[in-house]
Amino acid sequence: MRVAIAEDSVLLREGVAQLLTDADIEVTARCGTADELLAGIVHDPPDAVVVDIRLPPTHTDEGMRAALTIREQYPDVGVLVLSQYVEVGLAMQLLADSAEGVGYLLKDRVSEVKEFIAALRRVADGGSALDPTIVSTMLKRHRSSDPLDSLTPREREVLELMATGASNAGIADSMVITQRAAEKYVSTIFTKLGIPATGSESRRVLAVLLFLRS
Amino acid sequence: MAAVLPLVPEQHRSAPKPALLWTLGIAAVVCCAVTVGLASVNDELYQPALRVLLVWWVTLPYIFAGMVAWRRRPDSFFGPLMILAGFVTQLSILQWTSQPVLNTLGQLSDLLVAAVWLHVFLAYPSGRLAGRTERVVVIIGYIAAVGLQLVILMLGGFDDRHLLTIVNRQAAAEALQNIQLLTLSALALIGVGLLWWRWRFLPRWQRRRPAQIVINCFSLSLVILAALMVAGAFQLPGFEIIRLATFAAAGLAPLAFLAGLLDARLAKASVGELLVQLQADPAPDLRELLAQALRDPTLSLIYWLPQYGSWADQDGNPAPHPGPGSGRSATIVKQNGEQIAALVYDATLREEPELVEAVSAAAAIALENGRLEAELRARLQELYGSRTRVVEAQQNERRRLERDLHDGAQQRLVALALELGLLAEQANSDPATQTRLKRARGEVAESLRELRNIAHGLHPAVVSGHGLAIALESLAAATPLEVQLKTDGLPRLPEQLEVAAYYVVSESLTNTAKHAAANRVTVDVGVIDNTLVTEIVDDGIGGADSERGTGLRGLADRVEALNGRLRIWSTVGQGTRVRAEIPCG
Repeated sequence: MRVAIAEDSVLLREGVAQLLTDADIEVTARCGTADELLAGIVHDPPDAVVVDIRLPPTHTDEGMRAALTIREQYPDVGVLVLSQYVEVGLAMQLLADSAEGVGYLLKDRVSEVKEFIAALRRVADGGSALDPTIVSTMLKRHRSSDPLDSLTPREREVLELMATGASNAGIADSMVITQRAAEKYVSTIFTKLGIPATGSESRRVLAVLLFLRS
Repeated sequence: MAAVLPLVPEQHRSAPKPALLWTLGIAAVVCCAVTVGLASVNDELYQPALRVLLVWWVTLPYIFAGMVAWRRRPDSFFGPLMILAGFVTQLSILQWTSQPVLNTLGQLSDLLVAAVWLHVFLAYPSGRLAGRTERVVVIIGYIAAVGLQLVILMLGGFDDRHLLTIVNRQAAAEALQNIQLLTLSALALIGVGLLWWRWRFLPRWQRRRPAQIVINCFSLSLVILAALMVAGAFQLPGFEIIRLATFAAAGLAPLAFLAGLLDARLAKASVGELLVQLQADPAPDLRELLAQALRDPTLSLIYWLPQYGSWADQDGNPAPHPGPGSGRSATIVKQNGEQIAALVYDATLREEPELVEAVSAAAAIALENGRLEAELRARLQELYGSRTRVVEAQQNERRRLERDLHDGAQQRLVALALELGLLAEQANSDPATQTRLKRARGEVAESLRELRNIAHGLHPAVVSGHGLAIALESLAAATPLEVQLKTDGLPRLPEQLEVAAYYVVSESLTNTAKHAAANRVTVDVGVIDNTLVTEIVDDGIGGADSERGTGLRGLADRVEALNGRLRIWSTVGQGTRVRAEIPCG
């Protein structure tokens, strides 16, 4: 796998590059700004980019704009956005059209090396990776006559994993159950929430998010 | 008692000394006596008594009206010009004597009076000829009246009592005289046209009644004068009657002018009305009342704020005062020897200083109140300004701290967490080491979480970075309530506005979630008429008190610092509605 990095903190940029190299991932570019990243992609499109949301010169939304540009112009390049804070509003903007090949994680997640690499591979392969805090924030909302109330604790756990972009196998792995059992949980949840069952894993991420937001 | 002084020191001419006026008056009387004398020694004079009366009628009013005008309006040249016109008119009676030199002088100035009247009428009211056309007309008038007269006399015109005859060409002299009379007639009519033209293009409110009467009188005189000249040229019957009418009208003109000058009735009426209105309304729109009293809708009112050492308008905003050449004049109103206010008005009002003075005096106490109010507003604005600066400085500082945390401690801790993660991957499977590494990573993760909360509490970076709409979306998602968010078409706005609106929503949602026992909240944010309107409505128990909670008070400060206002409706049992309006145009 080939990945480009855009992160203005040298310490962190080199740390992430080291992490990727250790996992046998080729780092094609190490950029300090969004412009460098975009220029690099034109010549040598990687499988995925890891981009910090705050980049020079204004440190406001340069990284976010670069991420949206890449998603629009290079649909085959997976985009994993890293940030010191995760915002539901930004997640919605990033996933506006689809959850395919996109990820949005807290920066801290890089320290959980295996999970981070797994998330990056998922994004590069067209899947999704949403930070668990986004889903848990949205699940905290209390609504009158909430269909979420009808979920069992196990089902809620599965819902959260599903919303982060985990595959059925991933869910089974995390919960230490069989893949068949995971599939069964997923279909029960869809029925209870009244969401039409959808095929791909990234589609169901979007479906769950939209359900939680409504 | 109020004293009135000009705001901008202007060049003021002093009034003529009484001795000079007395001398002029005595000279006028002497001239009149001379007229009687000359008439009595001339046997050929037709209707001598009437002629003497007519001469008096066209000289004395000019001289005396001129003297009054000079005394009351030392700045205007009109007074001296009228006095001069009166004396010049007297010159022509010298032709009544048979003394050759005096007779010549008299005959030479026979028609000078026509040119002088034209000059006086066109120079009203400033005493100066306003335009190029006026100047040309008057100069041609003098050339026709005196220059042509000289040539006519040199050609042996009129009679043989004068000393100027060089050749005797009676026919040529007569032809030239007709040209002279018709020219003067035409100039008189052009003069009427000019008077009418100038009047027509004055703004309506500048067409004051006294001036209108004067101009009508001048126009009438010029029309009859033109008729007289035509009658003279064509030797029409009724010449004597027209001459009588000309003199009657020409003598009336300065009297009309004098009447306008002395007529204090208008001023008194205005001042009386003003006093009644000031008594009836304890908090009047002073500018409006004064504009009415002075009949100048362009009038503006400025107050002197001694603490600031500057002039300010009614709202306490610094106000410039008129400079020379601005077409505006100003009068300072003083109370107890200190300047309190100034009336700034159209320069034409300088023609009526008594009116301005009376109105200023009548309104002095109300103006003093107005000044106090303006001062209060200026102080209030200053207060607003300093509050805005405090809030701005605080916000800048918070943003800087958040940025420092983000670029410094947070990045370093993430790098540290990453390092620890890599270490855990590579470390040998010594369980003790792994346990300690795990604990260390947990500590770092917790530190990061705390730092993130602190940073977000300092400054909502998502607002600056991505706009209010996205920030509110996150806020709504994080609220444990059903939140309906409406931010359609919301544009990006200046940071402090977005941040203020963000805090209004954030604080309101927190309050609602904590205290309101509400099921649903609607958050509606939009720009209406250049105002950022943020409204949060819940269906909870109501009864929120803006004075009780420091949170709401702080919000109000933040909103008011941006010249906005925050209102809260929270009737018990009917939910709470918070509405912030911040100007953004």
